[in-house]
Parts: sequence; C-alpha cells; structure tokens
Amino acid sequence: MAAGYSWFLVLGSVFLCNLVKSLLPSVSTFLSKVLQKDAEQETEMKSEIQEMRKELSSISMKDEFARYARLERKINKMTDKLKTHVKSRTAHQAKIKWIVNIIFYILQAALMISLIWKYYADPVTVVPSKWIAPLERLVAFPSGVAGGVGITCWLIVCNKVVAIILHAVS
Amino acid sequence: MEILRASPEGSGPSAAQRRAEVRRRKLLMNSEERMNRIVGYGKNDGDGSPARRAVEPRFHLDLERSEPWSSPVSTKRLSPFLSEAGETAERRGPPLPDSRDGLGSTGTTEGDLPGGVRQRARGNVAGDEHTRSPRKGVQKYLSRFDDALKLRSQMASEKTAQESSSDSEELDSFRVFRLIGSAVLALFVRLFVCKYLSIFAPFLTLELAYMGLYKYFPKVEKKAKTTVLTAALLLSGIPAEVISRSMDTYRKMGDVFADLCVYFFTFILSHEVLVLLGSEAP
Repeated sequence: MAAGYSWFLVLGSVFLCNLVKSLLPSVSTFLSKVLQKDAEQETEMKSEIQEMRKELSSISMKDEFARYARLERKINKMTDKLKTHVKSRTAHQAKIKWIVNIIFYILQAALMISLIWKYYADPVTVVPSKWIAPLERLVAFPSGVAGGVGITCWLIVCNKVVAIILHAVS
Repeated sequence: MEILRASPEGSGPSAAQRRAEVRRRKLLMNSEERMNRIVGYGKNDGDGSPARRAVEPRFHLDLERSEPWSSPVSTKRLSPFLSEAGETAERRGPPLPDSRDGLGSTGTTEGDLPGGVRQRARGNVAGDEHTRSPRKGVQKYLSRFDDALKLRSQMASEKTAQESSSDSEELDSFRVFRLIGSAVLALFVRLFVCKYLSIFAPFLTLELAYMGLYKYFPKVEKKAKTTVLTAALLLSGIPAEVISRSMDTYRKMGDVFADLCVYFFTFILSHEVLVLLGSEAP
C-alpha cells in the first residue's frame, strides 16, 4: 500500500514547494519587518521633517532670513539622513529576500534530489505497458520497469499541472 | 608681389593674378572638400545645392574652370553635375570671352572639361569610399548602441510591470478550453478507450482538432516580451520577424506540452482513484 501512494507523495511534495514559492515574497517582507529594529526611527524622522516644513512655510524669508536659512538647512540635513536610512533599509530588505530565496531553493533542490534518489529504481505507479506505447521507455525512465511511470516524468508532469492550477487560483 | 612689380604692366599682373587665383581656387576647393568630409555628404544633397549654385557663380566670375573643379566634392552630385558641366561651360563661354581666351591660352579647351571632371571624380570616388566605410561602421555601431539602450529601458520597464502584476501569461479562453478538454478526454480514455489502444493516439487527435478550432476562438494579442534572450538576438542581427515567429512557435509547443501534462496527469490520477476504489482491475 505504501508503494501505491508514491505518486501521491511526489505530488504532495511538488504542490508544497510551489505553494511555498508563491508565498516567498510575503515571508521575506515579514522577516525583514521583524528583524529591522530601527523602523520607528524612520517614521519619527518623517514626522519631524513634516513639522519643520510646516514651520518653514509660516516663516517669512524676507523678515527672518537667518531663521529661515537655519531651518532649511536643518530640513536638508534631516532629509539626507532619512534618505540614507531608507537606502540601508531597502538594502537590508533585499538581502533578506535574497537569503530567503536561496534557502528555499536549496531546500527544494534537496527535496527533489531525495525523491529522485528514493524512486530511482522504482516507478511511482505502474500501468499496462501497452497503454503508454510507444513512449513506455521514456515514461518509465529511469526505473526501466515496463509500464511504470518514472520519477522524472512524474515530477515534470506534477510541476506543470500544479503551476497551472496555482496560477489559475491566484 | 615682386614678380608682379617686375613684370610688364599688360601681361604681368594678369598672369600673376591668374596664378594667384589658381592658388586661391585650390585652397578654396580643399577647404570645401574638408568641410564636406567633416559635415557629411547628407548635407550636400538638399539644401546645399541651390545655395551652392548661387555660390559657384561668385567663384566662377574670376576663375576660368572653377565650376568643374568645385563640383566633385560629393559623389552623389557627380553624375548630374557631369552633364551640367558641359552645358554650363558652353553657356558661360560666350558671355566671358576673356576667360575663354584665357582658357585657350593655357592650352585647355572646353572639350577637356568633362574628361578632367571625370578624372577628378574617379579620384574623389576612391578617396570617398575609404572615408565612407569607416563612417558606415561608426554609424552602424551607433545605431546598434541606440537599439541596445532602447531595449534595456524597455526591459527595465517590462520588469517593473511584471513585478507589479503576475509573472506568467494570462489564461485566455482558448487555453482554458484546451486544458479542460485534455482533462475530460483523459478521463474518457481511462474509462473506455485505454484497453484498446495507446492513450497518446486520442491525444494527438485532440491536438489536431484544437488546431482547427483555434480560428473560432477570439484571438488575444499577446504582447511580445522583451527578455534578455530576445534583446541579445535582436542585437546580434537576427530580424525581429524571425524572432517573433520563433517565439510564437515555442509558445505553441509550450501549449501542446501543457496539454500533454494535464492529459497524462488526469489519466494517472483517474487510474489511481479507480484502483483505490477497486472498481476495475488493470
């Protein structure tokens, strides 16, 4: 019975991999939010800049030029600081996204290799060979069992079908 | 100047003047040639020609044969000017008897003018061809560079658009019909047909039917995506039509492959379900 469910195990693994792949962007966004400590600082800087701009608009340049210039310099300095902060945050996010993707692809590759290793010699399912003539050898690769469906053929088929289904659902 | 002073008044100044004019003419001719090489031949074609014709008589008032000498600067204007050279020389002959005499005195005739122009034209053609080929290469390089920049910006815009929207192609009605048809056929084949013949035979028949049914479905214009591969192929010189046709063929092959995967998957799944239910032994 266990051997009869090999096809289902492979199908389930492929479905899981594709599902996790579609959820990767949200996972990386979540992780970057969790790992970033000084996210509040950015909002504080933005609100401070907004307040200073309001104050600047209320000051007359002709009457209080020195104060106007001082405030403008302050705003510029704060804006540059904010830009640097945003840059570093974006770079940090990109780094996390890259790491998450790498980890996923490594895990996926490991899973696929383990499946192929397990079912290298055994087919995932067996049907009468005349049903799948004249492609029985290709379908049975690499098991070599007449009428069997090999792991590689089944992996390819499952990947394609699951991708179509997930695309249609999303 | 000393020669002028030393020579008698009648012929000296005129001979010296003539020599000076010849020198000036050569200088002017060379500068014009140089300017044309810098600016390019294109500018000599449209606008320049009436201006040139207005300018030429000014030069030709003092110069006996400046007209044929100044003409073969651009090869494009050689042939019309060659025909004109004889005519204008003939036309200008009577109003300027002194210049004609001058021509006669120097031992040249009007009949030699076209020949002289032709010889000069040949020399210029050979020289111009040498300058034209590196210019063509530079222009070709610049046009390719522009194409590369355009493709790069196009790819960048398409990449941002793709990131905001979905990555894979949208399922149009015909594609959905194909996939559903393949699944239904697989089920039918598993239930009734598979005992008698191979499962791939009905699939091939189905694909042939799809080829015929394609025209009855609304055609969706698929925007050609500019990928790195297509950009590289375009820049390597392959025509865009060839690339688009190849991409179209690959897209169709991809559709057939998707149909086959769905068909086979449905067949195996239905087979396993039937085996599980125990309704039929293979």
